[in-house]
Amino acid sequence: MPRFLLLCAALSFAPFALQAGSLTLFASGEDLATEGFSAPKLTKDGWALEFSRIMATFDQITAWQTDPPFMAESAEIAGAALPISGPFTVDLVTAAEDDRVALTTVDATPGHYNALSWALVPGADGFSLVLTGIARKDGQEVAFTLRAADSVLHACGEYLGDMRKGFVTETAGADLEMTLHLDHLFGRADKPSDDEMNLGALGFDGFATGGVHDITLKGLHLGHVGEGHCHVSTF
Amino acid sequence: MFRHSRLMGIILFMAGLVAGQSVCAHAALIVAETAQAIRLHAQYDTGAPMSHAQVIIYAPDNPASPWGQGVTDRAGRFEFIPDATEGRWSLQVRQAGHGVMAHVQIGGVAPVVITATGAHEWLQRLVMVALVAWGGLGTALFVLRNRGRRDASA
Repeated sequence: MPRFLLLCAALSFAPFALQAGSLTLFASGEDLATEGFSAPKLTKDGWALEFSRIMATFDQITAWQTDPPFMAESAEIAGAALPISGPFTVDLVTAAEDDRVALTTVDATPGHYNALSWALVPGADGFSLVLTGIARKDGQEVAFTLRAADSVLHACGEYLGDMRKGFVTETAGADLEMTLHLDHLFGRADKPSDDEMNLGALGFDGFATGGVHDITLKGLHLGHVGEGHCHVSTF
Repeated sequence: MFRHSRLMGIILFMAGLVAGQSVCAHAALIVAETAQAIRLHAQYDTGAPMSHAQVIIYAPDNPASPWGQGVTDRAGRFEFIPDATEGRWSLQVRQAGHGVMAHVQIGGVAPVVITATGAHEWLQRLVMVALVAWGGLGTALFVLRNRGRRDASA
């Protein structure tokens, strides 16, 4: 019986395993999505946030092999393109232990996929990003839903993180990640108030009445590839 | 008599060991040479340095695994001497959840210097890379032999 369960578990993960000659795409809101904003990582205005859902819709995804490497200076990427059919609407709160949600695995020509373009687009409900949860501060508790209907195109360079990614070979697969940095939306209390990120972030005070609020993603730069940068444009 | 001679032998043997160690301890050989190095300067678009940022180096022949790593100094500078491997060396600089990548082509007529730029409009990070020489260009070789006070008096 245990062996059967192990086999079932293995088969259930098989679609997103790093198969040889394949590229697997992940989306992540990092630990701020799965664990929320809690001390010392409160919002820049001191709110603790606990998310029940963060629905994001990703589309127009293309992995690129670029030479010279694309440095995220513009919206145009030149190189060998691997288009990936979408869209994908996922809940970033229900991520795996590594805070990532697997979207799909596609066959990929061996090489280094060192650029990635993708868009946040409105999903079936008309919103590209919807954050639902509870905010707490000084004994006050507020249920909130923040929703954005913007279409935001990201032209990203190489994934940056603990490991270098994107190397597909004949014998090994690779993965790439689209990452939303939620601290660029809410700011961080554990960073200086004059930190560039905090200066640009909305914080939560503006939503303290609770309920549903429409927001815009313009100028917030949530999208990254791990820690790597993207050129961001709305359309 | 036998016991005395054996004791004397042990004392002489230990004295010899000490003397030998003394000679070895004061003979230092330092070889210094100049070499070309890669210097990167990581900073924000405000001009503020990326101080104490993590740097990871990838060599052309194994770009998926780190060749070396280090930390920028207070001024955001970091230097290393690559080996003879020609091709594209990649340098990753990370700090506070953000990173930038720079690439340097080594080999051929001259190194191709690529400036990596974070494309953030309000949180831009820059890495400027240059090929520099430590101690000036050349292949001078200095050998400094210091035998210590014991040998100096000999």
